[in-house]
Amino acid sequence: MKIHIDEDKCTGHGVCEAIREDVFEVGDDGVAHLITEELTEDMREDLQDACDQCPTQALRLEG
Amino acid sequence: MSRPTNESPRPYDPVDLSSRAFWAGTDTERETAFAELRAKRPVSWHRPLEDLLFTDPNDTGFWAIVRHADLVEATKRHEDLISGEGILMESLPPELLEAGQSIIAMDPPRHSKLRRLISKAFTPKQMKRIEDRIRANARMIVDDLAPKGEADFVAECAALMPMHNICDMMGIPYADRQKVAHEAAMPTGVSDPDVVGEGDPVQRLFEAAGYLHDMAKRLAAQRRDEPGDDLITALAVSEVDGARLTDDEIGAFFVLLCIAGNDTTRQSTSHAMKALTDHPAQRAWLMADFDGRITGAVEEFVRWATPIMTFRRTAARDIEFGGQTIRSGEKVILFYSSANRDETVFDRPNEFDLSRDPNPHVGFGGNGIHHCLGNQLARTQLRVLFDELLHRLPDIQAGEPDLLNANFIHGIKRMPCTFTPQR
Repeated sequence: MKIHIDEDKCTGHGVCEAIREDVFEVGDDGVAHLITEELTEDMREDLQDACDQCPTQALRLEG
Repeated sequence: MSRPTNESPRPYDPVDLSSRAFWAGTDTERETAFAELRAKRPVSWHRPLEDLLFTDPNDTGFWAIVRHADLVEATKRHEDLISGEGILMESLPPELLEAGQSIIAMDPPRHSKLRRLISKAFTPKQMKRIEDRIRANARMIVDDLAPKGEADFVAECAALMPMHNICDMMGIPYADRQKVAHEAAMPTGVSDPDVVGEGDPVQRLFEAAGYLHDMAKRLAAQRRDEPGDDLITALAVSEVDGARLTDDEIGAFFVLLCIAGNDTTRQSTSHAMKALTDHPAQRAWLMADFDGRITGAVEEFVRWATPIMTFRRTAARDIEFGGQTIRSGEKVILFYSSANRDETVFDRPNEFDLSRDPNPHVGFGGNGIHHCLGNQLARTQLRVLFDELLHRLPDIQAGEPDLLNANFIHGIKRMPCTFTPQR
C-alpha cells in the first residue's frame, strides 16, 4: 500500500494531517508530506478518507 | 414566471433573492425562500442584486445554488466555476477587488502557489503548538469582561478573540490591532451605513484599503530587515515563480487575512452565544460534559451561524449543472445558509442540536480548493473561548442582537450580555 501526493495540486489544507497526524504533515513548503513509510492495513480506511476528503484531490492510495 | 427583461437570456425565478428587503429581513424569512427553491427549483436564475454600489452594465442576473449536494459539487468544479472574476454577489470597482481579495478570488495555478506560502501556519499540528497562546488571549479577554456584569458581547468579547489571534499570527503590534480590525470590517459592512457611515461607501472602502495596504507595506519592509516567525514575514521574503510578491500583492493578501481572520469567528462566537442563551437545555447538555462535547458542539455553532452566507463563482465555459445549462461568463451564487439547512442532509435542520453527528455543514466551505484556510484556527478559538467564558461566567446571557444588513457576512453588530460580575 502506497500514498501518492501530487505536489502540484496540494496546497497544504492539512485535512489529511487532521485525519492521520502520524502519517501526514504539511511542511514548510506548504505541501503535505508522508512522515512514515510504514503504512499498514489497519490504516486503510483512514487513508482512503484522507484521499477522498482532500480538497484539491492531490492524494491517491495505491495497492 | 416573470417576464424577462431585454438583456436576460431567460425568465427570472419568482422567488426574490435580489432585493435590499430580502437581505434586510430575518434568517427565518430568507430560509422560507431557500426552502421553496431547494424543494422545487434547486438551480434557478434570478434578477441582478438590487441597489448595487457600483453598476455593472453587463450584469443580467445570477444562478442560485441552494442544495447542499449542489454547493459541494460547485466548489469542487473549480475549473468550470472559477473565482477569478470575483467572489461577492455585489459588483465593486475592479481596483477595489484587486486591493482586497487576493487568493480567495484567484484560480490555480497562481492560487495554489500563493496559498502554500502560508498554509503551514494553519495546520492542525501548528494549532496545537500555538494553543497556549490562544488560551492566554481567551483568558485575558474573559479577565477584562468578568468584573463588568454587563457589556456589548461583540465589541468586548467576540471581536477580540479573533483579532488578537490573527494579529499574533501576522505579527501586528498591539497598538494597531483595534484600528486594523475596524478598517477590515468596512468591506463586509459596506451595505450598512451604521458601519461605513453616511458618506459614499465606495470612497470609504478605498480609505480602508489604503490604510491596510500602507500598514502591510510598512510591516513587510520591517520584516525584510528583521524576519520574524509570522505570516507577514512569510509573505515578505518568499518567492513565487522566482519573484517576490509585490507590495500590492502583499497588501491584498494582508487585507484578505484581516477580513477572514477577524470577521468570521467573531460572528460564529456571537451567534453561538445567542443560541446558547435561547436553548438552555442544549447549554446544560454541553456543560454536563464540556470537554467531551465541545468539539462536536463547535461544528453546530458554525452550522448555526454560517458566518459567510454567499460566495460567487463565474462559469468559465458553458456547463451543465443540476439540469440547467449555465452559459460561459454567468454569475453563480452559492448559498451556504441554505445548504446548511438542507433537510435531505440534516434532520430537523432548524433546530440547534449540539449533539448532531455527523454534521457535514459547509460553514467552512464545500471542501474544494478554496476551503477555509483558517478552519482549524476557528475551531480552536471557539473551543477555547467558550471553555473560559462558560466556566468563568456560568450565568452569562445574551440580549437581542443588532444584525448587520449584508448579503455576505451573517453579522451581529452589537449584542448586550449580562452576568454576575466576578472579581
